[in-house]
Amino acid sequence: MTIAQLEIARASFFSTHHACAADVVAQRTRTVTQPTYPLLVARARRFTSLVTQLHMEVCGAVVSDEPMPAVFATCHGEIQTAETLIADLFASTVVSSARFALSVHNTAGGLYSVATSSTEPTTTMTGGNAVAAGWLEAALIALETGRPTLLSIADEPVPAVFRGPETTVGVGAAFVLAPSTNPVFELSIEPSRADSHMAPDTVVTLARLVQLVEGGAAATVSLGAIRQGHQLELRRRGDA
Amino acid sequence: MASGHVITGAAIANCLAADTQAVFERAFAGAEAFVPAGEFAEFPFATVVGLMPKLDGDIDVSCTPTRVAKIAFASARQLQPAVRGAIERWGPARVGYVFASSTGGLEQTERHLDPRRGGTSGARVCYADHSIDATVPAIARTFGIAGICSAVSTACSSSFKALATATRLIDRDLADAVIVGSADSLCRTTVFGFHSLGLLAPTATRPFSRDRAGITLGEGSAYVVLERSSTRAVASALARVRGLGAATDAFHHTSPHPEGIGGQRCMREALHRAQLEPQHIDCISAHGTGTTLNDASEAAAIERVFARRVPVMATKSATGHTLGSAGLTALVLAIESLRRQELAPTLRLTPLDTALGVDVVDRRTAAPLRHIVVNAFGFGGSNASVVVSQP
Repeated sequence: MTIAQLEIARASFFSTHHACAADVVAQRTRTVTQPTYPLLVARARRFTSLVTQLHMEVCGAVVSDEPMPAVFATCHGEIQTAETLIADLFASTVVSSARFALSVHNTAGGLYSVATSSTEPTTTMTGGNAVAAGWLEAALIALETGRPTLLSIADEPVPAVFRGPETTVGVGAAFVLAPSTNPVFELSIEPSRADSHMAPDTVVTLARLVQLVEGGAAATVSLGAIRQGHQLELRRRGDA
Repeated sequence: MASGHVITGAAIANCLAADTQAVFERAFAGAEAFVPAGEFAEFPFATVVGLMPKLDGDIDVSCTPTRVAKIAFASARQLQPAVRGAIERWGPARVGYVFASSTGGLEQTERHLDPRRGGTSGARVCYADHSIDATVPAIARTFGIAGICSAVSTACSSSFKALATATRLIDRDLADAVIVGSADSLCRTTVFGFHSLGLLAPTATRPFSRDRAGITLGEGSAYVVLERSSTRAVASALARVRGLGAATDAFHHTSPHPEGIGGQRCMREALHRAQLEPQHIDCISAHGTGTTLNDASEAAAIERVFARRVPVMATKSATGHTLGSAGLTALVLAIESLRRQELAPTLRLTPLDTALGVDVVDRRTAAPLRHIVVNAFGFGGSNASVVVSQP
């Protein structure tokens, strides 16, 4: 079922372990590199977590002077900050006010709006299907407003104290999408394939999405489960 | 978005009671429910909290045994008849679920890592219990729904952002009904964190009072069934969501804009989408956290949007600040105000801070109520407003 026909004007990608999206797919790694996130001025950078830095890095690469609604998506949220706050709490019964302030899932959204002086609404989708939910939310906002909408997706490694997803890679990708009457991209809900009960690897999914946007060939990327027995997909029709 | 979708079920649980009707009775009677924070955990400073009553033992959350799951189920289980009605009308695949929380399973993670409870650096925490959406699959299964599910987390505006997400799903024909739920539990990190910011009141919160000294944190959950307006749905409707607005302050991550520009913008947008003028609004349910700056900012926004004095109620004086659940908590109480044609009292108001220029109601007050604006503002300058009306 087609949900939205879209233009995707810009896309950006950053991985701590890969120089570009193509390297993820080709399984080529690089020396671990941290984001530089120039979108944030010096005084706003203190205590920002890797996930927020990743959001700022990729948003900074696609943002324009035109204010637009923004959707942030993150599976784990500020999970490293949460672990640090709890460790501090048990060590000294004191938590850093600055770190606590930046512990909410919408930290990136808040800092982004201040950095860009934009009063446009932002929201943050989270949880296991955050990639799919973020795409769906951004597409629906673009349809509702008829305007370009920023979608930023990022995740940092889950700290070792958690028994859960194990990755050392921090990754982010941002897209500016808009409704289109002559669309190249189509967002749709389709029946799940046999292997789609597995949560998609965020690093690979984001790399494939950026390649899909930057490439010219027709292809489809699964964005993960969105409802029982169904997944969200982004399809490129291919250049005419 | 101009909604017009109807709310066909509502449930709420918080420090006032674990049962919706009991919450209503106590909120409108002006009951006091805050307790010393020591009843929840030890803190090296004075504060009170809104603690959920009877949380242990009577709620089956074997799927994800967290405090926030128990709190979520306390409301969700009360909503079962309304959800069944929505499923009968639309079918399970056309009923979705959007959940909102600010802290999710953070309290459970604290428990696991607490050295006094045997937590050690080698004991790994179940990631699934920590995440915001930990309860989503279990509650979706309990409800028997098979539509789109997602989770939203934007601090204290979370549940209104979830309501906006639900509205879009119905507007775009991706669902005919969406369960919108929210829950947050108390946890030590939150209490210490708000204290570190100097935002925690040492005694019970006094929103809009001249003596206000900060927030009283509470825990709780609130759930509604948002449904496409249809003859059968309207027959069961408790209220109508006329319009939602959202905006950011673009000012500071934790401090509100002094003139409440984000609050002004989202209230104006909600009114615009509801196709109503400020003079149509009978009451404002304020975010009203009780901090010096938040109340001043919100009052400034209200004063600029509404040319006349509109009665204001601040229900956090009774429920405490339930964080990600704050918006829906106030919304469900506003729906009850519409049904009763009464404003709930704002507790501990005297003396009102007259410099704020808002008319806050300090007692249960009968009034003709057709349209109420409900505000939910949060960290990150994340603001949202909802116009809720009689069905």
